[in-house]
Amino acid sequence: AQNTFSEMMECVFDAQNLISISLRKIQSSRTQRGGIKLHKNLLVTYVLRNARQFYMSKNLSQTQRTHHYEDVSAVRERQDYFELTGSLTELGDDFYCNFTGVESDTWHCGAHQPNGQPAEVPHQDASACAMLSPSDSDLMVSEACWSCADKSSWELPILNAQANQKTVLDLDTHVVTTVTNGYFHSDCCAQSKQPQGAQCYTKKRKMDTSYHIVDPEFYLPDFGPVPFKRMRTDEDLHSDSDQLDSTNISNLISVLGSGGLSEFVSWQQTDLEQIFAAQTICLKHTLLTGSGWTRAIEAF
Amino acid sequence: MLIRMNDVQWCFSQVKGAIDDDVAEADIISTVEFNHSGELLATGDKGGRVVIFQQEPESKNQPQCRGEYNVYSTFQSHEPEFDYLKSLEIEEKINKIRWLPQKNAAQFLLSTNDKTIKLWKISERDKRPEGYNLKEEDGRYRDLNTVTTLRVPVFRPMDLMVEASPRRVFANAHTYHVNSISVNSDCETYLSADDLRINLWNLEITDRSFNIVDIKPTNMEELTEVITAVEFHPNQCNTFVYSSSKGTIRLCDMRASALCDKHAKQFEEPEDPNNRSFFSEIISSISDVKFSHSGRYMMTRDYLSVKIWDLNMESRPVETYQVHEYLRSKLCSLYENDCIFDKFECCWNGNDSVVMTGSYNNFFRMFDRGYRQDVTLEASRENSKPRSVLKPRKVSTGGKRKKDEISVDSLDFNKKILHTAWHPLDNIIAVATTNNLYIFQEKLN
Repeated sequence: AQNTFSEMMECVFDAQNLISISLRKIQSSRTQRGGIKLHKNLLVTYVLRNARQFYMSKNLSQTQRTHHYEDVSAVRERQDYFELTGSLTELGDDFYCNFTGVESDTWHCGAHQPNGQPAEVPHQDASACAMLSPSDSDLMVSEACWSCADKSSWELPILNAQANQKTVLDLDTHVVTTVTNGYFHSDCCAQSKQPQGAQCYTKKRKMDTSYHIVDPEFYLPDFGPVPFKRMRTDEDLHSDSDQLDSTNISNLISVLGSGGLSEFVSWQQTDLEQIFAAQTICLKHTLLTGSGWTRAIEAF
Repeated sequence: MLIRMNDVQWCFSQVKGAIDDDVAEADIISTVEFNHSGELLATGDKGGRVVIFQQEPESKNQPQCRGEYNVYSTFQSHEPEFDYLKSLEIEEKINKIRWLPQKNAAQFLLSTNDKTIKLWKISERDKRPEGYNLKEEDGRYRDLNTVTTLRVPVFRPMDLMVEASPRRVFANAHTYHVNSISVNSDCETYLSADDLRINLWNLEITDRSFNIVDIKPTNMEELTEVITAVEFHPNQCNTFVYSSSKGTIRLCDMRASALCDKHAKQFEEPEDPNNRSFFSEIISSISDVKFSHSGRYMMTRDYLSVKIWDLNMESRPVETYQVHEYLRSKLCSLYENDCIFDKFECCWNGNDSVVMTGSYNNFFRMFDRGYRQDVTLEASRENSKPRSVLKPRKVSTGGKRKKDEISVDSLDFNKKILHTAWHPLDNIIAVATTNNLYIFQEKLN
């Protein structure tokens, strides 16, 4: 039983590793010469989807939910978390552009509003994100998929819809972390680390290559085939103008329902503790210091 | 006549390109193609250059080897461009070269980068007019008062000059990256394909093309596959196939309708559930599709295998050849170092009895369809003595490594053979390593 568990944890670690690698590939593809390669990035998103589904299902199969997650609406009200939003077509345009200073005036930083009003940050329903629809779990249900998988875990029921956790990639440290409760310190934007010219996002988001903020590119509603931002073509330009209304857009992506760090470290597997401790950041501590999260992206 | 593959001994003939290990990125070969007679061999590189080699006529002094290939013409086909509207650079890398069948003294080829296809005319000039009445030798016009006699210019021989001139530029028709082109057997039209669309062109008309396949979804978030290659049937001018990143091949008949979004046939092999992994979608993506010369079969290349399809059977391939199955357990590392995205091509020999494709460590593989044999050969400077016979190579997959075998972990994944070409008539092959072109010939006694 111990061997099976170790193997499974290794697979979970691999999945997490793959997620991290994949996000980095997507990030680096934005600046490569010749523009973003649609084919390659589509394939990367398949790996992301596969790894994420595996990762989430393994996490949920192992633990009981303790239900200490906040209600989604409560989180939404807080409005002091850092989000990147924008129109889908803008993102599609980004996808096909290098990051070379194309300005967009539809981007908002949820954390920093000079007038104190909460930012209009339409947020994807957390419950939708958390749902693992049966049809998608079928993708991974195949018995022989993962030799190390605990097969009984595939039959577990739907995830806790209230889970509010995100997997984020910190672009500074290249660390993938699971963020509980999903909010960042309110002045996360105003960091001395920021290079010159990378202003905090109030109304405009400057796509400054030196800043390396990455838009959440992949909008995942209920776990269908991995979707893509719509590419902006010349003919789309005219029909898009009404889509630039920021209040109509939601593109926050989160992998909700991932197991949460505390569940891993509570296990008595020292080697696992080392693995995950090395790979993760103490969330609350980080939130207090406010470091690093300015450049984190919310993945998926 | 079927020649048993193992009866053929392959000899090193030539190698083209720089010797030093420091590879300039512009010199990386990106496409290789023989013309229809095999007399000319074209290569394209990342720097946008096309180099054409011509086979020397067979020498009576050396009947045991066929003519060598020497540089015939070199020209800059594409330059880097910048799309200011989208703020992105367009690479000059030559993605594909396709020759047109020869109709007159000149040769024509199509070359394409990510966005623009060009028709090039390669012609020879071996004489020039001399003795102009009204002009000096240097071209200046003479004072008419000094002209007292009538002289008609005559052509006199000169040193052979090969000129390449762009005759047509087919631009602004592709939003996404062009991955393949294919000339129709009617010699009047050709196809160009990008990730989501296929356009039909007339070779004479550059300002418009017909879009005949469009798989772009209304909502890009629903995108699940892209087009990876397209090819016209070798003798049915109404038929073409295109492959996808999902491992399917669709055959379309242009007579059925103007828009070929609905395929006439769809070739797809069901996935083996036992082989399911994180990377299943990547390794099933088809990187190349080629009709056999006969037109009866087509071959597809995905990351680990080569498949032969009978056009009359859509449910599964008639033959499957594993190129480097030992990589299946290494997919995670290959994903990390991006090798899993390498797009290998494949080719048929002249009589469709043998197929060839590349691998890593500068290995390339041949599969004899009739005798069910396969061989692994290596393109390397070490085996580059003139007419030295290539020794078959073997990768050890089990625990024990035999002598002369190479273990999987010793393979050099930076040395990859993506592009190979087979002479249409003879046993002469061109194999491109990163920046060198190797030519091997059958040993003739």
